[in-house]
Amino acid sequence: MWNGIIGNFGEAVAVALFVIGFANLLLQKNLIKKIIGLNFMDTGTYLFLAEKGYIQGRIAPIIVDGVQDTSLYINPIPSGLVLTGIVVSVSVTALMLSLTIRLYQRYHTLNMDEISTILKKEEN
Amino acid sequence: MRETIIALLPILLPVFMGTILLFLKRLKERKVILFYTGTGLLLTGVLAWNVILNAKDQQVTLFWLTEQIPVMLKPDVLGKVFLMVVTVVWICTGFFSFSYMKHEKNERRYYGFFLITFGILMGLGQSGNLVTMYAFFEFMTLAAFPLVIHNQSREAVMAGLKYLIYSFFGAYMALFGLFFLCRYADTITFTPGGTLNAELIADHGQMLLIIAGLMILGFSVKAGMFPLHAWLPAAHPVAPAPASAALSGIIVKGGVFAILRVIFYLFGADFLRGTWVQTVFLVLSLLTVFMGSMLAFGEDILKKRLAYSTVSQLSYILFGIALLEPTAVCGSLLHLMGHALIKSTLFLCAGAVICRSGFTRVSELRGIGKRMPVTIWCFTIASLGLIGIPPTSGFISKWYLATGALDSGIAVFQYAGPVILIISALLTAGYLLPVTLKGFFPGELQQEAGHDTWKKCEGDRLMLIPLVILTALSVLLGMFPNSMLNYIDGMLSGIM
Amino acid sequence: MEMLRNFPCFSLILSMGAAIVSSGLSGKLARRLNTVLLMIITLLSAGTLYLTFTTDTFYVYKMGRFSAPWGNEIRFGNLEAFMALFFCIVMLLSIWGGKKHLKKEISDFKENLYYVLLNLLLSSLLALIYTNDLFTAYVFVEINTIAACGLIMIRENGHTLEAATRYMLMSLIGSGLLLFGLCILYDITGHLLMSNIKEQVSILTETGEYQLPLTVAILFIGVGLAVKSALFPFHAWLPDAYGYSTVSSAAILSSLVSKGYIFLLIKVFYRVIGFEVIRQSEFINVLFIFGLTGMIFGSLSAIQENDIRRMIAFSSVAQIGYIYMGFGLGTEIGMVASVYHILSHAATKSMLFIAAVGLTDVSGQSKKFIDLTGAGYRNVAAGLTFTVGSLSMVGVPLFSGFISKILFAQACVGHAYKMLPTLICLAISTILNAIYFMKTVVRIYTPVKSEYASLPWKKDIGYGVVCILFIVMNVLLGMNSEPIVELIRSGIQMFG
Repeated sequence: MWNGIIGNFGEAVAVALFVIGFANLLLQKNLIKKIIGLNFMDTGTYLFLAEKGYIQGRIAPIIVDGVQDTSLYINPIPSGLVLTGIVVSVSVTALMLSLTIRLYQRYHTLNMDEISTILKKEEN
Repeated sequence: MRETIIALLPILLPVFMGTILLFLKRLKERKVILFYTGTGLLLTGVLAWNVILNAKDQQVTLFWLTEQIPVMLKPDVLGKVFLMVVTVVWICTGFFSFSYMKHEKNERRYYGFFLITFGILMGLGQSGNLVTMYAFFEFMTLAAFPLVIHNQSREAVMAGLKYLIYSFFGAYMALFGLFFLCRYADTITFTPGGTLNAELIADHGQMLLIIAGLMILGFSVKAGMFPLHAWLPAAHPVAPAPASAALSGIIVKGGVFAILRVIFYLFGADFLRGTWVQTVFLVLSLLTVFMGSMLAFGEDILKKRLAYSTVSQLSYILFGIALLEPTAVCGSLLHLMGHALIKSTLFLCAGAVICRSGFTRVSELRGIGKRMPVTIWCFTIASLGLIGIPPTSGFISKWYLATGALDSGIAVFQYAGPVILIISALLTAGYLLPVTLKGFFPGELQQEAGHDTWKKCEGDRLMLIPLVILTALSVLLGMFPNSMLNYIDGMLSGIM
Repeated sequence: MEMLRNFPCFSLILSMGAAIVSSGLSGKLARRLNTVLLMIITLLSAGTLYLTFTTDTFYVYKMGRFSAPWGNEIRFGNLEAFMALFFCIVMLLSIWGGKKHLKKEISDFKENLYYVLLNLLLSSLLALIYTNDLFTAYVFVEINTIAACGLIMIRENGHTLEAATRYMLMSLIGSGLLLFGLCILYDITGHLLMSNIKEQVSILTETGEYQLPLTVAILFIGVGLAVKSALFPFHAWLPDAYGYSTVSSAAILSSLVSKGYIFLLIKVFYRVIGFEVIRQSEFINVLFIFGLTGMIFGSLSAIQENDIRRMIAFSSVAQIGYIYMGFGLGTEIGMVASVYHILSHAATKSMLFIAAVGLTDVSGQSKKFIDLTGAGYRNVAAGLTFTVGSLSMVGVPLFSGFISKILFAQACVGHAYKMLPTLICLAISTILNAIYFMKTVVRIYTPVKSEYASLPWKKDIGYGVVCILFIVMNVLLGMNSEPIVELIRSGIQMFG
């Protein structure tokens, strides 16, 4: 068990980050903290992917001096996925932040539950 | 093609005419509405008799619902018997409404749905397999709903919802059977003697019995059998009298008809004979017979009393079916026809009384016979029919039921059945005859205050003619049952 | 014929291109572009369906120059093409039905943005339907979420902002799980293309390696997509989102967006993991239980609701429960039933939303039941459509809901231990459905002297046409289910 974790140190950290982020996203009441949790979670996933694509002792898949031998480079696909993922997470974060700003302007609070209570009061 | 047209016409014509009537917003002229409805009713009647006389007993597949399940019509003898009853009662009730509904609002809507329901009943009678019957059954529930809640008081709407929920619940229980039968039967087309596949059901006997029980219980909701009868006494008093007559005379018979189909045309009498399902069915129906009579006996509101009476009388029919015995089933069918005629007469009489005098309670009816002699005479004759005094139809059917019970040789029930039937008949006399007695012999209280208007308040011709026709038919059925018996004889030997 | 193979790719690129172009257009032009686009894509999808249906095979379309294990692919068979066609039609009708509201509820300078979002949503739905690459699917899941969120919040008020935030938070949890599941799957198989992953997974199951990561991956992907499609315990965002957003958004969200995720999940089941592996895992039992609870609790919440839009939204929760329950049965027939229910629910739910808005329009924009009294008379088209939708939800024959219920029940009959719970939950859920939908139907047809009756309500021919089209679609699904079920079956076979 311990060997497994030490041998895959990077992945273990990635999973830990994911879990921390997930818990924050789920349990925090404050919207900003939720968004931070979201970023933690995404980062965890990207670290996991990057770790999976990395092969000990090889270099980044950028062709230097015309050497095309695949055994020199790491797996480029996860890196590509990470890049795509980052784009997605940036746009999602931006959307979330803009929503948060709107809500704050309207209700002067960042707590989702309070907002719901105010809304219910408004209705009655 | 010819068969298709014959079978479809009586379904489509009234539905079509009714729908059009619903959408004719501009039509305010009462006479035109009445003429239109009357024409619709009579035309449908003619078309229905065309089916009864001319249609051959063959399948007419309309379209396929799913790949195994066609929607098909098949006017066989049982279906034709149902059609006969429906046609007679529906047309009479319809014409009675013309007079009764004069002072009600929204007449156009009433007649529209009245016509639509008529068409759907035609479809129910002719349906050739379980899905088709289920579809028409559901539509019947829905189309009759506006009739029940016609005056749209809170009470009526709540009663209507009760009716709707009970019916959906029951129909859905019955629908279970469809899922299983698709798997364990050769076909879901109604076939005399049943369609179960002996090989497939070998290991699943118990399960199929449960399913059969559920289906019977499900359809018996409409027929007001004991645990699920509560909608009936709620819905009847709030509906306009002709609607209650139709409801009690015909709609509830839809449930009985469906049970007949399920038992004799899908599962087969042999499959159920001697099983616990039969026992449960017998117990429940006898219980309902007794309980319904008792409740009716203690009820003062006339229409509610009649509703409880319906509960009780329908279970006579169900008891006969449950015996799974040719004589008893024959009695059931006769009682089905007789009760349809009689109960609609009784409800129409009650309607005439309510409409003309405003009395709703039995205790208020002292001396009513002097004011509305024809109505109360019809009521009396019909009552005698329901009690079962010869030569009325009730006597013949109860005779067959009792003989069937004795013939059946099922322990306990062969004696308990007739005894309960007799007790219940006495109770029937007890709750129906006071109306006549008080009506014709008001006694000393005649001069009491509040009874200052002793003038006649008999209904008009539109009210009386349907009443007299229905009463006469019920008597004729009792006096000359043979033609009817011959008609259903072949069918009975086919299904047993 | 060769040309037809490019159509899915065309429709993807066209919808994305239209989204970009719309951002520079005026609202009116953007609307026209959107309509034209939807019609073109409907035609393209019909062409694709024609191709796959006549040749009876699936096609793989290479995106870019790299082939199988590295490149990106589109893969389509009968089911994909049919879904695309169906989604386009439903979307078109939903937009038409809510057109008038859009103008009122969204500020003018945002109107073109609305169509940008719609086009994006369409492209992402099409991509979810067509793609054969898991990571592409993930990206489009996110695009779908963002577009849907935009559709909710574009009508700016407190409720929609809150709902959008809740929706985003739930979706982010879902997509986080989905992404991590994909990563694990990529990790243990080394592929991103669905078909290639499946080959590897089957090797893994044979050798018994990496069983734990595989289970975790299935769990993460499944739960992620279930969260996004608002399966029962994850539905907290749904009522507000559907209840307060502009009506076209609500119709599209409820009928299409959640279905897109469900469709992706089906693809994951069949094309990525392999149905055999899924069937043996415990995961489907989890889905089954959540599905059943959803069926009951969704309906229970709907009964308590006093707001028509929120009531319909809660009913969506119940219907999504049906779909997952079908998955949970773990049989091919169950899957067919679920896919059929996706279609039937998409058609019915959008119809109900559009009808509900017609009813609230004539009741002073109030969504409370008390104000809706008699609305069925004030807006006949909406009342009729709502009634048909309700009947379909309750499961009355001839409408689509009945067929999906039959299919579900037939699927569960014969299942060793899932049969009884399924049938019981189906029954309870049907009764509950009947209670709240019939309650509403009765409410909208209860005549009152309403203050709203005098409000000027112009007859809207466009709206009426949309209503009629919705009804026609529903009846077509209900009466003509055989070829559709056949199509689904063949489509699922092409999946694998």
